Amino acid sequence: MNDSASPMPAEQQAAPRHGRTWRIAQLLLQGDRPYMLYIAFAILLVVFSFASPWFLSIDNFLNIGRQTALVSIIAIGMTFVIIARQIDLSVGSTLALSGMSAALAMSHISDNWVLGAIAGIGTGAIVGAINGFVTTRLSIPSFLVTLGSLSAARGLALMVTTTRPEIITNDSFIAIFGEGTIFGVPVPILWTLLAVIGGILLLHYSVFGRQIYAAGGNPTAALYSGINIRRVTTLAFVLTGALAGLAALVLSARSHAARPDVVQGMELDVIASVTLGGCSLFGGRGFILGTLLGSLIIGTLNNGLVLLGVSSSLQLVIKGVIIVAAVAFTRK
Amino acid sequence: MSEPVAVAAASSPRLPLIRVTGVTKKFGGVQALRGVDLEVLPGEVHALLGENGAGKSTLIKILSGVHTYDEGSIEIAGQKVAFESPAKSREAGVAVVYQDLSLVESLSVGANLMLGREPRTRLGFVRQRELMAQVSAFLREHNIPLDPRVPVDSLPFAYRQMTEICKALMGDVRVLILDEPTSALTGGEEQILFDAIRAVTKRGVGVIYVTHRLNEVFRISQRVTVFRDGANAGHFATAETDMKQLVAAIVGPRHAAMQARRETTGGVVTQTEPGADAQTASQVAPHVAHSAPVLTLSNVSNARLSGVNFSVHKGEVHGLAGLIGSGRTEILQTIFGLLPIHVGTINLEGQPLAAHRPADAIRRGIALVPEDRHLQGLVLDHSIERNLTLPRLPQFSRGGWLLAKAAAQQARTAMKQLSVKAPDASTQVKFLSGGNQQKVVFAKWNHPRPKLLLLDEPTVGVDVGAREEIYGVVRDAAHAGTSVVVVSSDLDELLRLCDRISIVVDGSIERTVERAQIRHAEELHHLIQLPRPVEELAT
Repeated sequence: MNDSASPMPAEQQAAPRHGRTWRIAQLLLQGDRPYMLYIAFAILLVVFSFASPWFLSIDNFLNIGRQTALVSIIAIGMTFVIIARQIDLSVGSTLALSGMSAALAMSHISDNWVLGAIAGIGTGAIVGAINGFVTTRLSIPSFLVTLGSLSAARGLALMVTTTRPEIITNDSFIAIFGEGTIFGVPVPILWTLLAVIGGILLLHYSVFGRQIYAAGGNPTAALYSGINIRRVTTLAFVLTGALAGLAALVLSARSHAARPDVVQGMELDVIASVTLGGCSLFGGRGFILGTLLGSLIIGTLNNGLVLLGVSSSLQLVIKGVIIVAAVAFTRK
Repeated sequence: MSEPVAVAAASSPRLPLIRVTGVTKKFGGVQALRGVDLEVLPGEVHALLGENGAGKSTLIKILSGVHTYDEGSIEIAGQKVAFESPAKSREAGVAVVYQDLSLVESLSVGANLMLGREPRTRLGFVRQRELMAQVSAFLREHNIPLDPRVPVDSLPFAYRQMTEICKALMGDVRVLILDEPTSALTGGEEQILFDAIRAVTKRGVGVIYVTHRLNEVFRISQRVTVFRDGANAGHFATAETDMKQLVAAIVGPRHAAMQARRETTGGVVTQTEPGADAQTASQVAPHVAHSAPVLTLSNVSNARLSGVNFSVHKGEVHGLAGLIGSGRTEILQTIFGLLPIHVGTINLEGQPLAAHRPADAIRRGIALVPEDRHLQGLVLDHSIERNLTLPRLPQFSRGGWLLAKAAAQQARTAMKQLSVKAPDASTQVKFLSGGNQQKVVFAKWNHPRPKLLLLDEPTVGVDVGAREEIYGVVRDAAHAGTSVVVVSSDLDELLRLCDRISIVVDGSIERTVERAQIRHAEELHHLIQLPRPVEELAT
């Protein structure tokens, strides 16, 4: 009927066979005009390769991967929240609070990396649970609820140490979440991959994923089909909070300390990645690999602009314009 | 805006304000209008009657400029007009008040009436006092009892509707179209609306009044036009006709056909298997009453229901007939767990149904095909397969993981069994026709068969072919032992499907009748209409 259908005739005809290739193609190609996302990424790579001699190298790509890890990990969770027709503005503050919680648990209770991990991810999950619970039980728009927790969680993070950073000395923690490498791949990238794989399984292969899509695609129809929308929505917030906790571990391990004032304004990069990746803010549409690609596009843009020596103020302007333009192009 | 000719013409009482002659309209392969005529005089309330799908809404949409017409002509005050757009139709003086209101609820009545044409100062500020003065003058002039200062959301429904009518009248209006204006009103509120309509007609405006409630026709209208199957089926002066005559015109000469409903339906079920239809025909009326009831409602009450009592047997198709707003839909919603039960009990196979959530109802084997498939039945953006598996996800999963192959297999089977016409199961539901979409909603409950199937207006907006197929699906389910409760405003539909029919009035069951006791749709129409006292016939 319109051009939205045109890129996929081959896939559609192959549908009844459900071969592996088709299923992989299905994972890669979703959204309204999915191919535009790949084209945008390719253009970006080509432009920067020509513009900067340092851009096209394995070291630089690992660098981009490390830099985007935080945003990518949280964006996986945000994909669930946005598909469920909600938003979570509190992820940056949740990350800060989770980092403080992890560092404090290790310095005050027991110097054990497992405890730090549990404290960090657990704190994030609790913030998410509160977001989800207040949103679904009190029927307050999640935009407002998480705007509140954006402020409250940041305040708590600043309060616990009266704004001082908390040093992390646990070497296992630092190696596992921040500085270690496996086969030359830095662990932040591996954690990102883990989050992506987990996200794909959960969103595209589990019952929970189906319920999330339905809850966001048409809440009334989902209700009439017996879906517990409150529960499903709350779980999406918990997942996002927990992933913000994981991101906090990565960040604090890399900087050997948890700081209460980190990643202010990060929610914008996360939401930009998710929408750039083909998620509809009206719910019901989106996919994990799109989100990853969206986050990589934003990360590559940051990296390339730095390499080109663009001033940081101008970087912000260019980034803003390109994000809006890219979203405009990737949908009708 | 108004041409001088038109003004002169409008002042002459005999020349019609609007004259529709031989208008036809085809949507795809469906002939919605086969040449209809309608004429409205100044100061007249002209009732337009007909069943769902008779062509009333199509004509209204043509008059309001939403659709264009194929052949025929429309004249306004003797001048031929073509309504290419809603703006053009508005300019010609035709205003439509739709069922769903278009008011900004948080604003005052005055602000709503002047929305977009507020008197302003040079700096662009609203002259509040002047605005209210203009609105007050308008309301006084039309003799309409509304306070322009009151916010719309604090008004009872009838007054909101009155505001809507006023908004439609604010311009230069000659013909006012009211599309089922009383469907959401209570008895007292109706009177308020009727007074407003009379005030309007006194000023020479002609009103086209679309309704399903026949007693209103006698209370408010001077003339009646009846549509049936996209054509004129009768034209009456209200004072010279009676309800029986009107019902006959609405339902048409199908009484003989009703007697032979078994044959009709058998012929269409052929769709699936040629050999099966004779069998189908003979099995339609199972002697269900001997078995213990599958579903029993005793004295069920909540905010919308007041003491509902009825029972349904295994394999029975039980109809719920009544006016819009009588509580038919709410009965189904309460059984399905969408509305809470305050008083009374619902028993399914002897076990009380404490279902307060649809998920529990589904687990107990209850299925609901809701009234509005776009809003309640389907996720339009998603594939057929996704929609089909939604209510039965536990069935297609192990340990929380989706069994993709089983789900896809089930979707293909269900599509084949219900003959859903679509390229494959990954087609988005929004690309399907109304009939195929409705079949998808049915297919959600295809396997395993539910014990109790609740249907709310199962064939609204569905073309004739798909309708017959859906009837086949319902009968097949009943033969396989499913008990069915059908809510429908289409009386022929109820008569064709049901073994028993209950009449719903004001949130409770007025009476239950055997199908065999009703000879034709006209009788059923009387049963639905007559529980309401016909006070002050014709004014």
